Amino acid sequence: MFRDNVKLAIKNLRNRFSRSLLTLLGISIGIMAIISLLALGEGMQQAITGELSSLSDVVIVSTGGDVFSAFGGGGSTGEYFTQRDIAVIERLQGVKDVSTQLSGYALAEYNGKKTIVSLTGMEIGVMQLQYASQNLAAGEFLNEGDQNKIMIGYSIAHDTFDADISVGGRIKINGEKFFVSGIFGKQGFGGVSSDSNLLMSTRDFQKLTGQSNISLIYLRVENVNEAESIASTIQNAINENHGRKDYATATTMTSILETVQSITGLLQVVLVGIASIALVVASIGIMNTMLTSVMERTREIGIMKAIGATNLDIMSIFIFEGMLLSSVGGIIGIILGVFGSQGLTLILNNVMTMGPSMNLTPIITISSVVLAVTVSLIVGVLSSLYPAWKAARMSPIEAVRYE
Amino acid sequence: MSKDVIVTQNISKTYGKPPLQVYALRETNLHIKQGDYIAIIGPSGSGKSTLMNLLGCLDKPSSGNIIIDGSDVSTLNENELARIRREKIGFIFQKYNLIPTLNALENVELSMGFAGVDSQTRTKKAKELLEMVELSKRLTHKPSEMSGGEQQRVAIARALSNNPSIILADEPTGNVDTKSGDNIMRILEEVNKRGETIIVVTHNMAIAQRAKRVLRIQDGEVREEHV
Repeated sequence: MFRDNVKLAIKNLRNRFSRSLLTLLGISIGIMAIISLLALGEGMQQAITGELSSLSDVVIVSTGGDVFSAFGGGGSTGEYFTQRDIAVIERLQGVKDVSTQLSGYALAEYNGKKTIVSLTGMEIGVMQLQYASQNLAAGEFLNEGDQNKIMIGYSIAHDTFDADISVGGRIKINGEKFFVSGIFGKQGFGGVSSDSNLLMSTRDFQKLTGQSNISLIYLRVENVNEAESIASTIQNAINENHGRKDYATATTMTSILETVQSITGLLQVVLVGIASIALVVASIGIMNTMLTSVMERTREIGIMKAIGATNLDIMSIFIFEGMLLSSVGGIIGIILGVFGSQGLTLILNNVMTMGPSMNLTPIITISSVVLAVTVSLIVGVLSSLYPAWKAARMSPIEAVRYE
Repeated sequence: MSKDVIVTQNISKTYGKPPLQVYALRETNLHIKQGDYIAIIGPSGSGKSTLMNLLGCLDKPSSGNIIIDGSDVSTLNENELARIRREKIGFIFQKYNLIPTLNALENVELSMGFAGVDSQTRTKKAKELLEMVELSKRLTHKPSEMSGGEQQRVAIARALSNNPSIILADEPTGNVDTKSGDNIMRILEEVNKRGETIIVVTHNMAIAQRAKRVLRIQDGEVREEHV
């Protein structure tokens, strides 16, 4: 009986080819949206995860409660770490490569105009690691051993002074001459380097300002599994040093990763939720088509009942038709979704200028394909249930009499 | 004496509620035996179709009982009625009522499919039946590609496919020319000779007179006509 229903359903759909095609297209569009948005979300997540997980042994200690404010570079909380804090960290087991980020303000002069800028000093090795993901608008990164060379943010180069600064340009900072080695691309929000920051080596910073205001401490752990426990040990020790419970925050990349993943996960749910609206519309389309079909085939239904079809037989014929419509639509939608996600990525990569190392690649997972097929089958069954029930309920005499 | 395949006990079919109640069929008692060949005649609107629908389990009587092959169908639910229609009764309609999207072979196989017969047996049986009604060369033709007479013969093959004990034919020759009509009646009589019960509703007295029994319906009342 199952095979006969398949046969009947295919014949009936073929008989109403253009109508079936249009109905099926509705499902395809919904599934396409789901597949491509899931692929995009997955790609986004993996791009960010890949970026961050290379830093999984890094612990960042910042003052205040929020690690991201310290990330801004010069923008500090006004509280600094002491050498005693550094010493505490260096004494801990399993810690290596402790380095600091210094921050402060300085008077910069370019082309006769003077202004106060925020200044960050970092170990050059850490700088390369930390800013690896950022694209340079011009020039190159500082190299180990460089002196009196700086990296500048996009706004410093183009907005702060009367004239644009280019690579090799000379800026006076607190009266000392510095040469621009590289200019960061425009970051906008959420970048690791702020647009209006000057970046130099720790040594230059100390020489220039005579200060060591440590706003951020980077360190690495020998065993990634200990990162969390070491981070909390450090946090407690520094808080004890300063006699306050919220003086320092030690954050592992893993915890940042988790935060980012939960955000992208939520984003994905929202995107799929929006795409589901298309599916709801499509399922109404199926229901409409099936209802029309039931009306048109009143006589046929009556004949089938007269020659012995049960209500269940009639229902299964119509439900199968709905399932066939939606699953073929779903398969087409998956294929369209593969192309659609490529197209969307192309657009996003061009519009959002994520930087060379943050290029999005859509990733279509098996589970999203399985989800799409399941959802389209369920949509098919649900939207043909009512028409099928209506068909099954028809009285054979009424149906046979129907002209 | 052969057994009764259909017995009706005081069946009535009414429409509407009193006092506006209309009787389509009034307290009818029939005994139809295995192997009977019955013609039902009467003017339009006399209740012929109502009686056919009741005998064919397409409809239920307002009162009274119908016993088919020993079971009282007035008490059966829809699924059980579907089973009776599938196993005990073969329908032949005036307008053939084949499924337009299926070819001759598939149309004949359809009700065997509902009965759960496996596809190999089904195809074999359908081919035999179509051969019997001389349509071996039309197996893959759609109804729209066949003449009225041919379609009606496909319908006969379909009606016989589940070996029913009763064939109900509603004006089987009404839409075909005389020659085809004669052919159709010849096939039905052939089937009757094998022991099957045939009930034919007709306007055509020539056809009615070929039957063993004639029932005349007038205003919902059935009388046995002695021919």
